[in-house]
Amino acid sequence: MAGLARIGAISVILMLVALLAVLTTAAWPSIQAYGTSFLFSSDWRPNELNVPMKDGDGHVIIEDGEVVMETIPPSFGALPVIYGTAVSSVLALVFAVPLSFGTALFLVRLCPKKLIGSVSFLIEFLAAIPSIAFGMWGLFVLSPLLQNYIEPGLRSALSWIPGVNGWLFEETVKRGSKVVTSEVPLTGSDLFTGGLVLAIMILPIITAISRDVLRNVPRAQIEGTLALGATWWQSSWEMLRYSRSALFGAVMLGLARASGETMAITMVIGNNNQIKPSLFAPAQTMSSLLANEFAEASTEIHRSSLCEVALILLLMSLIFNVVARWLVVGKGARTSAAA
Amino acid sequence: MKQSVMSADGPPQRAIDMSGQAMPNRSPRVQQSIHGAGEKRRAPSLGHLEAVAEDESTTVTHEALETESPVVEIDNFSLYYGAKQALFNVSMNVPHGKVTSMVGPSGCGKSTLLRSVNRLNDLIDHVRTEGSMRYGGMDIYSRNINVIELRKSLGMVFQKPNPFPMSIFENVVYPLRIDGEKRKNVLMEVCERSLRGAALWDEVKDRLHESALGMSGGQQQRLCIARAVAASPDVLLMDEPCSALDPIATAKIEDLIQELKGEYTILIVTHNMQQAARTTDYTAFMYLGRLIEYGPTLDMFTKPRCRQTEDYMTGRFG
Repeated sequence: MAGLARIGAISVILMLVALLAVLTTAAWPSIQAYGTSFLFSSDWRPNELNVPMKDGDGHVIIEDGEVVMETIPPSFGALPVIYGTAVSSVLALVFAVPLSFGTALFLVRLCPKKLIGSVSFLIEFLAAIPSIAFGMWGLFVLSPLLQNYIEPGLRSALSWIPGVNGWLFEETVKRGSKVVTSEVPLTGSDLFTGGLVLAIMILPIITAISRDVLRNVPRAQIEGTLALGATWWQSSWEMLRYSRSALFGAVMLGLARASGETMAITMVIGNNNQIKPSLFAPAQTMSSLLANEFAEASTEIHRSSLCEVALILLLMSLIFNVVARWLVVGKGARTSAAA
Repeated sequence: MKQSVMSADGPPQRAIDMSGQAMPNRSPRVQQSIHGAGEKRRAPSLGHLEAVAEDESTTVTHEALETESPVVEIDNFSLYYGAKQALFNVSMNVPHGKVTSMVGPSGCGKSTLLRSVNRLNDLIDHVRTEGSMRYGGMDIYSRNINVIELRKSLGMVFQKPNPFPMSIFENVVYPLRIDGEKRKNVLMEVCERSLRGAALWDEVKDRLHESALGMSGGQQQRLCIARAVAASPDVLLMDEPCSALDPIATAKIEDLIQELKGEYTILIVTHNMQQAARTTDYTAFMYLGRLIEYGPTLDMFTKPRCRQTEDYMTGRFG
């Protein structure tokens, strides 16, 4: 029986290695074709493009009365989806972390004993809801709400602040030689909505871990601050400080989940492969790009580039998870043993 | 803050709180059982104990305490953890500028009593109190009292050193930080004064900005004393401050207590009888939640008036 367990453990490790190997092989043509520029190029064009050929002065070349056309090969760059993933995940953290820490503090310090079980269950139940359900809620409830009320409200509330209007609610587009400034259309399918939906989805994991971490703050630390005349908030702040590395780990786990989340974000982020500074502009994440395009990828280089995006996503999640685990389990255990 | 406590002279703060009259029979019964046990165990002659009051269920307080001016006045104070009574009608005055120790076997309620003074027991669910406890004329358990300010006047040192995970400097000035003090020179001045006060300055002055967790246990405990002193309290409550320390570190803390005496009123819980004898002016002996005897330390050791006190002081039990 021990042998069976060993085989089980080894096969899990083998699966991870195999996954990395398969993805790397599949991504190889793209890695060879684009190298590191894959990470920094914002051009994602799966199809060939026929454009008029121009000469050195920028004039269209005409031969025998016909415009000479040239074919530009497809090009792939992951910068917009890396940007979309980063911004939507960070937004999710901005919304989720204060709420999660607040909830964890409530559960540890304020919640009547009778209620702790049910409140914890409800929060952890959020983690068990299928992500498609969050996506549909986001699409049918949250998105219209944001589009019709909250985003216009934010615009009228915030646009007087210098810089905010230009950053969030206006975009500049180059049309030929002219630079045109126009209002960002508020669609409700954008980075902001994506961040909100992700925040709800990562709330349970950050809350559950930070609750366990805060529960392990030694009594002597809490009493030490209170005995010196600290208020409830001040002593809570010291609790957070005391367990800061483990809490940071909890946040990293939330980040790992947010960056890899696919279904819900695909439904609300607007799926537009672009980098716009406005948080109210549609965008694309790595995972939503894969969900949208993988089925329709017809050329080898397209598939291969998608595989490279998947590889980047996998490596990123791996790093987040390893760092988080090290912080929560490794360091957390050490600090509480020292105290 | 949980307000599940009530004061004897104020209205009940929660409808479910039982009034002082609700459990009239509890304490006498337990007191009698103590009395009975004492009699069974201690039949032999006790020559100098003839002055003992007939009823051993009341506290024997030596006359010497009448000349002292009290800082903390505890009057008929009882405390319950849920249904379990932990303190039975304790009455004692903590004299100003003196070191008073509380001794007694484990579980006798000394720490509970100490932690009742700065209302640290508020943190525990279902704690209920009866009787009164006054500090500077204010009822500690009155509804109107500002617990935060109260705790700032009553510094506390815990059993295990509990430095915060920050630099030595930040630890010491923490009480000022939570008051919003930002001026560097004020913080530095208080830091130096407090560390000197805790006889720690010379050892740490070159590494004030290193983590406090890197110090030895004894240094950490003196740091905690410095931190308590930095809040400029009137009273220092010490809960077995040396129990986690080696003899050399213990000796340093004891010297420190002697130096702090006079400037601060010190109430210290200890398990170490020699420590009580060496460092304190008054000693209170507690047993099973009751204050048995309270008097000058020398008298408590050499001519106690209660059998239980003598038994404990001489190491016959506990």
